[in-house]
Amino acid sequence: MKRVWSWAALILGGLYFLLPLIGTIEFSLRMRRGEYSLDAYRSVLSDANFRATFSYSVVMALLTIVLGVLIVVPTAYWVRLRLPRLRPVIEFITLLPLVIPAIVVVFGYIRLYNTSSVLPLTGTASGTNLLLLCGYATLALPYMYRAVDTGLSTLDVRSLTEAAQSLGAGWTRIIGRLILPNVLGAVMSGAFLSFAIVIGEFTMAALLNRPAFGPYMQLLGANRAYEPAALAVIAFAVTWGCMGVMQLISRLFGTRIPAK
Amino acid sequence: MRQIGWNWLGILPFFAFALLFLVLPTMNIVIGAFQNPQGQFTFDNLAGLTSPRIVSSFAISIKVSLASALLGCLIGFAMAAAVVMGGVPGWIKAPLMTFSGVASNFAGVPLAFAFIATLGRVGLVTMLLRQWFGINIYALGFNLLSFWGLTLTYLFFQIPLMILIITPALEGLKREWREAAEVLGASTGQYWRMVALPILFPSLLGTFALLFANSFGAVATAYALTGSSLSIVPIMLFAQIRGDVLQDPHLGYAMAFGMIVVTGLANLAYVIMRTRAERWMR
Amino acid sequence: MSFLTLDHLQKSFGTTRVVHGFDLSVEKGEFVSFLGPSGCGKTTVLRMVAGFETPSAGRVVIDGQDVTRARPNQRRIGMVFQSYALFPNLTVAENVGFGLKVGGVPRAERAGRVTEMLELIGLPDLGGRYPWQLSGGQQQRVALARALAPRPRVLLLDEPLSALDAKIRVSLRNQIREIQQQLGITTIFVTHDQEEALSISDRIVVMHKGVADQIGTPAQIYNQPATDFVAGFVGTLNRFAAEVLDPARGIVRVEGAEIALDRPLSLGGVTLAARPESLRIAEHGIPAEITGVEFLGSVQRLRARVGGQEVVLDRFNEPGAALPQPGVRVHLTAPPSGWLVLGE
Repeated sequence: MKRVWSWAALILGGLYFLLPLIGTIEFSLRMRRGEYSLDAYRSVLSDANFRATFSYSVVMALLTIVLGVLIVVPTAYWVRLRLPRLRPVIEFITLLPLVIPAIVVVFGYIRLYNTSSVLPLTGTASGTNLLLLCGYATLALPYMYRAVDTGLSTLDVRSLTEAAQSLGAGWTRIIGRLILPNVLGAVMSGAFLSFAIVIGEFTMAALLNRPAFGPYMQLLGANRAYEPAALAVIAFAVTWGCMGVMQLISRLFGTRIPAK
Repeated sequence: MRQIGWNWLGILPFFAFALLFLVLPTMNIVIGAFQNPQGQFTFDNLAGLTSPRIVSSFAISIKVSLASALLGCLIGFAMAAAVVMGGVPGWIKAPLMTFSGVASNFAGVPLAFAFIATLGRVGLVTMLLRQWFGINIYALGFNLLSFWGLTLTYLFFQIPLMILIITPALEGLKREWREAAEVLGASTGQYWRMVALPILFPSLLGTFALLFANSFGAVATAYALTGSSLSIVPIMLFAQIRGDVLQDPHLGYAMAFGMIVVTGLANLAYVIMRTRAERWMR
Repeated sequence: MSFLTLDHLQKSFGTTRVVHGFDLSVEKGEFVSFLGPSGCGKTTVLRMVAGFETPSAGRVVIDGQDVTRARPNQRRIGMVFQSYALFPNLTVAENVGFGLKVGGVPRAERAGRVTEMLELIGLPDLGGRYPWQLSGGQQQRVALARALAPRPRVLLLDEPLSALDAKIRVSLRNQIREIQQQLGITTIFVTHDQEEALSISDRIVVMHKGVADQIGTPAQIYNQPATDFVAGFVGTLNRFAAEVLDPARGIVRVEGAEIALDRPLSLGGVTLAARPESLRIAEHGIPAEITGVEFLGSVQRLRARVGGQEVVLDRFNEPGAALPQPGVRVHLTAPPSGWLVLGE
């Protein structure tokens, strides 16, 4: 009896998750009347805007990861080493992006960094790019920090550091050569999660008016019928790829995947 | 003293970053919510939130969030319980968890496309239901661009999130608790009512709060799905930022402030409940 | 008529049979231990008594009632788990009263019984605490009170002391025995610790590979082990290869020395065994060389090499006598009753 209910829950749930995927794939193949074809994909992939926005978002995602690592790894390390009492505070700050909706944060950016402010970042394209990058790093902060902090918790940071210092290593060497390689698995899993979040991000990019993949998808969705489905399949494949690699890495490095 | 000073220097970049790109922008909005265009303190903006249009947008937003969080919790719980204690083969768990990890991050524009392709007017399921069973769901009053359509779509990331969070909690229920209850004479129902559910309750309520905040702040899915035809709070705010549709920029700040309050309360509940849950789970 | 009867119990998981025909009769008020290494099937037998496992064959009879197919919640049994298994969301008093509550006992009566139980285990003031606020030993005592509160017919203890540290283990096992005798409750105690089993049981069942090797009092188990396994598992044992010289009079030869056993044997090779406290140093006997001396206070533990192997010898401390030095050559012997004959 119990088993019947379990299977019922799993099959109904599975159906709910599978149908949209099948529906999207089927829809994306329907472009040519009366037969299935890859026309929608061809149309998307040959679109110069697709290539431009997709590569823009890929670059932004990679930069986000770099910025995230630069901010998170030294901080998490330093807090564990020297300021353990500050950990709750840091943790609280890193969780804030889950509390404050992204739309509110970017609204604040527009107000704070407009052309008439002290730091007129939105005045130039490169300034706005930088602002968007920082916004993305903010979005990724909770995941990145939790991943790295979990990774560090498996190390005896203090002993490792003291051992390295007694051998005459400097700070850059300690962090770059000792800490980073040891939490690489955690950093990578945080990185791929960040990648998956940033690549299709819509709200920030749209409100800052940057030519990113998210707004492009939305625009295409408003104007075309079949191409959006093809885009959804591509985006889903990218997400799957990121999460798949992340799971693989965390299995290889034996670190826990931070649950979202 | 000098040592403390140097120690602080180590986390200065982090604090600078958090201040510049998280705290100050948010503070700016919060302060803006209490200022009139001349920069003087006022409650007028918050009072403006009581206009019927904004009240109804908050109402529908909260309704969608509550519905998707509640259903997400129930369905996610059922699926997690089926895997953890339902007697299905053990190999099902790993793929379900992996899929949940992916699906909980599959929000935004592509998710909207997927549901349009499935349950839109010419979507796969819509067509099949009509062809196979003669059921026209749109004639029956269903509309993807509505409260239920949005809720159904949000469930695609809400259920997996619930599964990800509640599975470890369910696994934390020790077999011995069930056996101890049984041998003391308790029925299965009594065990669940008196032991298992009270132990899970903080996790359940906490996850509910998290799911609520998760859907309350979501913009992209709703925007790509409905355009601006369904005026939930984030979409209204989005339109306001783009084009000042409220004809009062400071009313926009008040709306954003309202969002922070709602998600903040939801997350506060989450934190409190999680602390309680962890106290028991030692 | 015994109170608890296990009648030819069998249990297989898939194709592996973990319990072969297991028979046991327990008298009312008796304290019986199941002793054996992990994987010997002792816990499986206990779980069949509790009702968590259904026997593949055989019967469980409690007080004349066949409960083989009864659900655990209908058996009126008390059980204490290795991991305490207290409900973390309930206070100590609520935990102890749980069985009474689900049994429909009125609130006032319940409160009285809970107080009585908390006094019995010596924790009368901790009723309002939560399990996580208690030490391991306290938690296990509360678990005992919880199991006893509904007045079960049989008490099952599944390695209740294994998770505790050594000192508490000894005091708690004495307390368990005291309470058991005070209430006169029929008890089965599962353990892999021979000292525990020897010290508190009326009878011990030594289990090995799903079979009861021997059932007997602690003294019988220790002094007259029925099988090679029992002899080796319970207590320390020195073994000697021996050759039978005179089967009728029981004379054997070990390492060139003749030993009289005063009991008839069959001709051929046997293994002789002796407990460390049975061996002693004498003028004649098995030649040995002392290799080590440990002074343990009341006892001196000597190690000696006999042939290619090491043997252990315990003797009481004698304040006047000097300890033998390593390297000294001695002869070992034992009284005829101290010799066990294995693998005859």
